[in-house]
Amino acid sequence: MGETESDTGKTDKTIFNTEETRFVVISWERWVEIASEVGQGNKMVRICFSSSIRQTLYPSARFVKYLQKPLPTKSSSSSSSSFSTTPLFLRPPIHSASFPDLKNWQDWAKHLALSVGPKFVEADNGPDADLLCRELKWLLQDAVVDDENDAGFVKLRADLEEMYALWTQRIEERRPFQYLVGCEHWRDLVLCVQEGVLIPRPETEHIVDMVEEVICEDEGMREGLWVDLGTGSGALAVGIGRMLGDGGRLIATDLSPVAGSVTAFNVRRYGLQDKVDVRLGSWFEPLQDVNGKPVGLVSNPPYIPGDHIFGLQAEVARHEPRIALDGGENGMDALLHLCEGAATLMKPGGFFALETNGEKQPEFLVDFMTSKMKGRFRDVRVVSDFAGVQRFVSGFCC
Amino acid sequence: MRSFLLKRSSLRPLLISQNPKPPNPVFHTSQSNSTYIYGSTIRDWMSSNGYSQINKYSNGYDRFVANSISTRCFSSQGAAVDEQQPKSSDGLTVDRIVSSGWAILEEGEGDWKSHAAAIAQSIQLIKRRLQWRKLMVRLEMLSVELNKPNIWDDPVHAGNISREHGSLLGKMKGVNGFERELLEHIDMLKLAKEENDAELELESMKALLNMRRSVKEKELEALLAGEQDPCSCFIEVQAGAGGTESMDWASMIMNMYKMWANNRGYKVTVVDEMAGEIAGIKRATIKVDGEYAFGYAKAEVGVHRLVRISPFDSGKRRHTSFAAVAVIPILGGSSSHFQINESDLRIERFRAGGAGGQHVNTTESAVRIIHIPTGVTATCQNERSQHQNKAMAMAVLQSRLDQLEMARQAQLNAQHTQSLTDISWGNQIRTYVLHPYRMVKDLRTNYEVSDPDSVLEGDIDGFILSFLSASLDKDEDNS
Ligand SMILES: C[S@@+](CC[C@H](N)C(=O)[O-])C[C@H]1O[C@@H](n2cnc3c(N)ncnc32)[C@H](O)[C@@H]1O
Repeated sequence: MGETESDTGKTDKTIFNTEETRFVVISWERWVEIASEVGQGNKMVRICFSSSIRQTLYPSARFVKYLQKPLPTKSSSSSSSSFSTTPLFLRPPIHSASFPDLKNWQDWAKHLALSVGPKFVEADNGPDADLLCRELKWLLQDAVVDDENDAGFVKLRADLEEMYALWTQRIEERRPFQYLVGCEHWRDLVLCVQEGVLIPRPETEHIVDMVEEVICEDEGMREGLWVDLGTGSGALAVGIGRMLGDGGRLIATDLSPVAGSVTAFNVRRYGLQDKVDVRLGSWFEPLQDVNGKPVGLVSNPPYIPGDHIFGLQAEVARHEPRIALDGGENGMDALLHLCEGAATLMKPGGFFALETNGEKQPEFLVDFMTSKMKGRFRDVRVVSDFAGVQRFVSGFCC
Repeated sequence: MRSFLLKRSSLRPLLISQNPKPPNPVFHTSQSNSTYIYGSTIRDWMSSNGYSQINKYSNGYDRFVANSISTRCFSSQGAAVDEQQPKSSDGLTVDRIVSSGWAILEEGEGDWKSHAAAIAQSIQLIKRRLQWRKLMVRLEMLSVELNKPNIWDDPVHAGNISREHGSLLGKMKGVNGFERELLEHIDMLKLAKEENDAELELESMKALLNMRRSVKEKELEALLAGEQDPCSCFIEVQAGAGGTESMDWASMIMNMYKMWANNRGYKVTVVDEMAGEIAGIKRATIKVDGEYAFGYAKAEVGVHRLVRISPFDSGKRRHTSFAAVAVIPILGGSSSHFQINESDLRIERFRAGGAGGQHVNTTESAVRIIHIPTGVTATCQNERSQHQNKAMAMAVLQSRLDQLEMARQAQLNAQHTQSLTDISWGNQIRTYVLHPYRMVKDLRTNYEVSDPDSVLEGDIDGFILSFLSASLDKDEDNS
């Protein structure tokens, strides 16, 4: 922590510094000030609306992340990312605890997890005690730095007090594990997530496999333009972006600014900022300038029928953003919109893959694409996920 | 003595150029101190051991070495092989040195004969451990095969043959190199004595002593000369019948291996673990990464038996429990793998409940892969993403299929490979008694230890090494 002179001569309280970025806590007034400067386009800073959690923790403050002024010699991309809460595993290990203290914490947390028993499973198909215990192990994995030299003490990325608070949130508020630690392991990636953005699901990993198959068969696809609509944390964008060749590009879009900033953060973390472009806006709106160009389109749009959401497990219903889940009355609003738009947006021969709720939706979509939109798509098929659910619809544009 | 005796100054370079040093990789490079990986220690720490990471690594190894030295027997090699042996200028060979029965004294004592005898003895032991005669026969077979004109019609087969040929040839040259080196030193020494060259004599003695030490080390390395020995491996433990009692035992055994592997500097990853309802594990698989993990761990294959007063029995009666251990090598990139056909696989997400997708947020992403033609399955649930669970399950599956394939090949060739002696879960190999007395005894070697705690804390090298040497010595004698 420290007082740092900002570019405008005001002092902001720095809470975390990395080589290229500085995290600061600022007042509401200062926030407005910076926001307006950014609006004028003369500031190397991106601002992130902080999550509700952080607002309750620091009611009068907001987090922003400065991009430290780039050195004039270094070429730098202007697409900075802002990410209000630093994921646990990326925080510096500036805390420590004695083994007995940490052990006490672990015993307490384990006890709390075990006390859940089958309660959550019975209530809403939530996690059971076993699963919670595994999460506990992973929480330690992210929080503890194993340093053999420091006998008797362990270095931590969060102090014990926060560890107690986090695990209490997990059990009592059913706050998703991935929000606690600020990341989700997805494929071979570690994606940063926070409240306000959907935690990527294991099923969705399969879309990357499908794309890989297509790219392997037609190397030209590797050098083309891809789009990921409703990118959320940027899971698909990063997963696919990493497979593209030197000429390949990807545009990731989302309506939610939080999703936009989290995606930008993840894209940067994987060094893809020159390949992946993040744009804010509704579905095809930000893609006007690339009409007819994309060779591939992927999307996992919101597909849950609106009135089903409250019946979902607490982790989802209470904590994940509704905008990422709610697909309208029958869940098909976005999916149908995407089908229609894809036919116009895509280059002929382009590949698409969409995720669905796995029930009636895939069948309905296939029917829609092959009859209502006859002649616009070919090889439309339903692909199952590893649980045997008919999860995806894929095909090519004509 | 050779007739072309030259002055020392010109002789030395000549000897050196006539007998270049043996090619470098002899059996294996010594145990790398691979890094102590964070995941494993933390996991260890988080497991039931509380937080006192025990770093005691007591000396099963030294104990064993002492043992093997006193009980070793020195059978001499067959006469046929003797013919091909390198000879010294006056017709001395390694076997003749051994059979002349020169006294072997402490390193610091005795004359050159003591050193020479010790070295010759080591070389013989190494040969026995390398299964020398089988090695020669196999090498001959492979050479014949390699010289067939159409060998490269099947490049995979040819690759395998040539790789094995290369590796066996390397071993043979290594040993021959030792033999030559020993005789050279002896020649040099005799020369020095003849010429009354004290300096040269001293130098040669030093060289002999150095060789005595390095060859001693090679004795141990020769225990791990099997083709798969350098591989990493999976260790699987399965509880026997008997419910909670055995499941608890299975987890004790698994813990023993985790600690053993940690102490050796191997990286341990839990791949799959099925907890018992009350305590322990029904079965579990760990991945042990590091050089020679398989070479050592393979000695643990079989059923392990425990006798103790049960902590789960309110009547405080004695119970006997069983746990079975399997060890599977993870073949390196250069090895031939069983070819898996994508279409032969069924990949399932298990314990996936409900509608999935956006409806569910779970950190559970366990994957099971089934190889339909063989029915072999593999499961992984301990990774943090489905993709990685799948990759790990795939790796386990690959290794299991590789192992099946090796067994099949070995049967086809009627070729006995030591790593395949017990491919299945095997027989009962060891008993651990905690009550009424305390002892761990290996039923194969009769090697025993009276401190079960240290054994269960991972001090099992004594068992491993005694088994390896016993099985190799026995093999050669029977052939
Ligand atoms: C189910 S999430 C998928 C996120 C990510 N692609 C994934 O698979 O993890 C749906 C995403 O669509 C975004 N979204 C919702 N309505 C949108 C719209 N009208 N235009 C663009 N994106 C939208 C949400 O913000 C959310 O990030």
